[in-house]
Amino acid sequence: MKFKFFDANLYVGRHAKTVYKPAAEAEELIKEMDRQSIEKAIVWHIAQHNFSPAEGNAMLSAMIRKHPRLCGCWTILPPQTGEVITRCFFRDMKENRIAALRAFPDIHRFLLNRTVFGGFLDEVSDRKIPLLLSMEKGCSWEGVYNLLEQYPALLCILCDIGVWGTNRYTWPLLENYKNVYLETSLLAIGHEQVEAAAKKFGAGRIVFGSGFPERYPESSICEVLHCNLLDSDKKKISWTNLDSIISGVRL
Amino acid sequence: MKSRLREEFYKTGRFKDFPVYDLHGHMGSLCAIHFPAPDADSMVKSMEKSGVKMLVFCHHAALLSPDIGNRANIEAVRRYPERLRAYCAINPNHPKIIEKDLQSFDRYYGNTYVGFKFLASYHGCSITNPRYESALNMAEERKLMVLLHTWGSSDLCGPAQVRKIAEKYPGARILLGHSCHNAWDEAVKLTKDFPNVYLELCAVLNDRGPLEKLAGEADTGRIVFGTDLPWFSYNYYIGAVLGADITDETRIKILSSNAEKLLSEHIEIPS
Ligand SMILES: [Zn+2]
Repeated sequence: MKFKFFDANLYVGRHAKTVYKPAAEAEELIKEMDRQSIEKAIVWHIAQHNFSPAEGNAMLSAMIRKHPRLCGCWTILPPQTGEVITRCFFRDMKENRIAALRAFPDIHRFLLNRTVFGGFLDEVSDRKIPLLLSMEKGCSWEGVYNLLEQYPALLCILCDIGVWGTNRYTWPLLENYKNVYLETSLLAIGHEQVEAAAKKFGAGRIVFGSGFPERYPESSICEVLHCNLLDSDKKKISWTNLDSIISGVRL
Repeated sequence: MKSRLREEFYKTGRFKDFPVYDLHGHMGSLCAIHFPAPDADSMVKSMEKSGVKMLVFCHHAALLSPDIGNRANIEAVRRYPERLRAYCAINPNHPKIIEKDLQSFDRYYGNTYVGFKFLASYHGCSITNPRYESALNMAEERKLMVLLHTWGSSDLCGPAQVRKIAEKYPGARILLGHSCHNAWDEAVKLTKDFPNVYLELCAVLNDRGPLEKLAGEADTGRIVFGTDLPWFSYNYYIGAVLGADITDETRIKILSSNAEKLLSEHIEIPS
């Protein structure tokens, strides 16, 4: 069976630190995706993380404009400062083909909780917009637990979950919150970790992510292709789950 | 770059023309992590699926529970002599156990052990500590493989400590587990200065770039594949070797022939 991939976790742009051969422009990213049979991707710009969320968001929007295979992902900051979240935020998302959000609370120095985000994240939950949280980039497990306790319906994709098997952190979340998903770029590094999560919670809770440019897309792809799951489950992980999430977003 | 191996592995999940060897494994459960499949049976099943002919490992119990010690290694190899060999664990905090293990080493040499494993950062004792000397002397005499857990930032098992050991024991085959992670320049330099130093790729493969650097600057005949199984997945790490910007010829050396050469100094590899 041939699988196509929908990638939840890759970025465009040059990191301020050294990252091996990143895709500086959308065209380079598309070329890499073609090489990997990654048909579609939710893409963000690294400048959103280590330069400026507002400017990084704008750079991303400009980059994906001509590329329907790329869905955009913006980075949010507390609404109070008005840097990113404005009155027309969701309309702007729609206009710019932004289908997902990221937050880096520890790096951007805020708390990802109800005091800060109030009704905004309720609306994000209602609109079924996925919030992607990188456990390697500016998010703590305690932060994720607090967030989900306050917004239990939030559609949350946990990315870059760490190289030390994190089941003791992730499984309670999968058990308690039905809209939590795991992304594969580091879940797949563990021996039989994809299988274990899928067997316990269903393959419907796992979405493919390559981790490009920091990780080899081949790694996550090979694990999805050759793990001990049925082809129907592999198809969910490689494509269907994320495709349904993105088609379910209401803007 | 087009790769025949990449196409083959994508299609079949293994390679038909050569066996893979894994020179860095463990076994059994461990306190800080939940492993879904850490037992010998599951590990061997994964090896067979991915075309891994032999794994050289050191059981977590041998490394971290002196009450169990190396018998965990011996028992596992006894069950799978075609698939497994072990590194005899050396815990410098228990010199009496080391003495006993070295006394009985001959009985297990080749049929079970091909060398030693030092886990200095976990044991809190530098690899240059005299407590490792008896094992290193034996490794020197018999050209045994010594798998060191190495990490760039460590002052127990970083490049400076490796340098001392590699210089003092030129006969021992010194395998740098994790290739002095993140101190790639120093790791390359160690291979240039000492012909008995090998770079092992577990954790190196987590990120894009380091393998390209090591393979570009060090002797590709001294880079070997390892996974920390049951930690990391064969599909994922072989995928990384396939994703790296290196040639198929180098990939075969890394995944297969370099390790085969090392192992055949101590055992007849089962056909
Ligand atoms: Zn190890």
